[in-house]
Amino acid sequence: MIMLDVKNLNKKFPHFQLRDVSFQLPQGYIMGFIGLNGAGKTTTIKSILNLISVDSGEIHIMGKSMDKHEVELKQAVGYAFGNVDFYTRSKIKTLTKVYKTFYDNWNEESYRHYIQKFKLIEDKKIAELSTGMKVKYSLALALSHGAKLLILDEPTSGLDPAARDDLLDVFRELVQDGEISILFSTHITSDLEKCADYITYIHDGQIINSAEKEDFVDQYRLVNGKVEDLELIKDRMISYKVTSFGFTGLILTENFTPSAAFKTGIPNLEEIMIYYSKREAAHV
Amino acid sequence: MYNLLLKEIRLGVNPFFFVLPFITGALMLIPGWLYFIVPLYFCMITIPNIFGGYKSQNDLMFTSMLPVDKKNVVKSKVLLIVLLEVLHVLTAMIYGKISLSLYPYLDYIFFKPTPGFWGLTLTMLALFNLFFISMYYKTAYKYGAATLVASTVAVLFAGGAEWLGIQNEFVYNLFKGSGSGDVLTHYSILLTGVLIFAALTFVAYRIAYQRFKKVEV
Repeated sequence: MIMLDVKNLNKKFPHFQLRDVSFQLPQGYIMGFIGLNGAGKTTTIKSILNLISVDSGEIHIMGKSMDKHEVELKQAVGYAFGNVDFYTRSKIKTLTKVYKTFYDNWNEESYRHYIQKFKLIEDKKIAELSTGMKVKYSLALALSHGAKLLILDEPTSGLDPAARDDLLDVFRELVQDGEISILFSTHITSDLEKCADYITYIHDGQIINSAEKEDFVDQYRLVNGKVEDLELIKDRMISYKVTSFGFTGLILTENFTPSAAFKTGIPNLEEIMIYYSKREAAHV
Repeated sequence: MYNLLLKEIRLGVNPFFFVLPFITGALMLIPGWLYFIVPLYFCMITIPNIFGGYKSQNDLMFTSMLPVDKKNVVKSKVLLIVLLEVLHVLTAMIYGKISLSLYPYLDYIFFKPTPGFWGLTLTMLALFNLFFISMYYKTAYKYGAATLVASTVAVLFAGGAEWLGIQNEFVYNLFKGSGSGDVLTHYSILLTGVLIFAALTFVAYRIAYQRFKKVEV
């Protein structure tokens, strides 16, 4: 089943535009939603949650239109916004007491289980939690109301490597049963190399690519060569860097014809992002 | 709806603002004071503090994520305002009664706390609600301009009413002279005030909801 289906989202702001954003997240998988700062990740997530009205396009969660069934679908969606805090001077237990009254399927047992598992102390105020603990608290809330889709906006930003790794393990564990799906935006691509099944890459308000992680990476090649051979391939590359040792560039696999003049390698997600942003800079 | 109102009370509003009416209400005991100021404290202290709290705690974002109808989001905030206003007016009325019995022979320059005066107070709060609630929901987080405009309207209404009470013989007699004991007229003014309060607050809610539908979080 397709858990989240985003179709042709368009939204115009004075200085930014989402253009024809489409992607699908199947049930039981983790999708990494990557892009540079300001590429449109949070705007897309806000559109999914109906926090901003789109000019055109459709969002379906579990086959139902978000526009028509917003309240019902929000019962099945959990969220964590890494950078936004709510009611930070309130204690965990106070916030939970209020929060749970909104959910029909609140499971107290499950809440207790996650509070223990994540080592959350209910008497602590939200402001006293570390960034990682805040994300875990959001997850505990989401999982206790039986959320099937978790939308996490930069949940790992600001975490130390150990806390990030710990959180990624939690994500993997959550999708294991095939029930829960996670859409997870980040610009820390190494996180996704560890745990994402799908990658959706947004750049300047447009989806560049959305595919299974291996296929996604396989669509690109890093090409190395001598500066004098650059002219042969220059126009087909997404962008390139020239150093005293030669050039390195990113190219779509389909545009690359193997030749003795060039060495190729598989890029990582970060390199794909960097070369796309360089293309943008070159066009300015 | 009930859970949203409960959320406002448990999370959004500091308990201090439920105690404040009992403190500001006690100002009714000052003999012959300008009693319109008592409910105006609600407009100028309670409202900006509560709504400033909402802004700093990202309440708009928090509430928008919850599985609730936008209509109920607005309704719960309007109900909270009404609840606090009623609390302010009721406590002030009780203190007003005490004040009247403490100083039975006082010559009032400003309005005497008669039932009719409370009708005027409710009309003043109705105007405050109309301007504050409808303006606030243009953004659902900017409260400064809305508070300023709504409080100014309320002060102008209070000032105008007091001016009339001094300048106009009929109004003077009705509120401070021989007419101040006319129970029927005074309760009719109070009832009219209640109706105006209900009607304008409802209009404010309708405008606010239409505006809130267009708000981008």
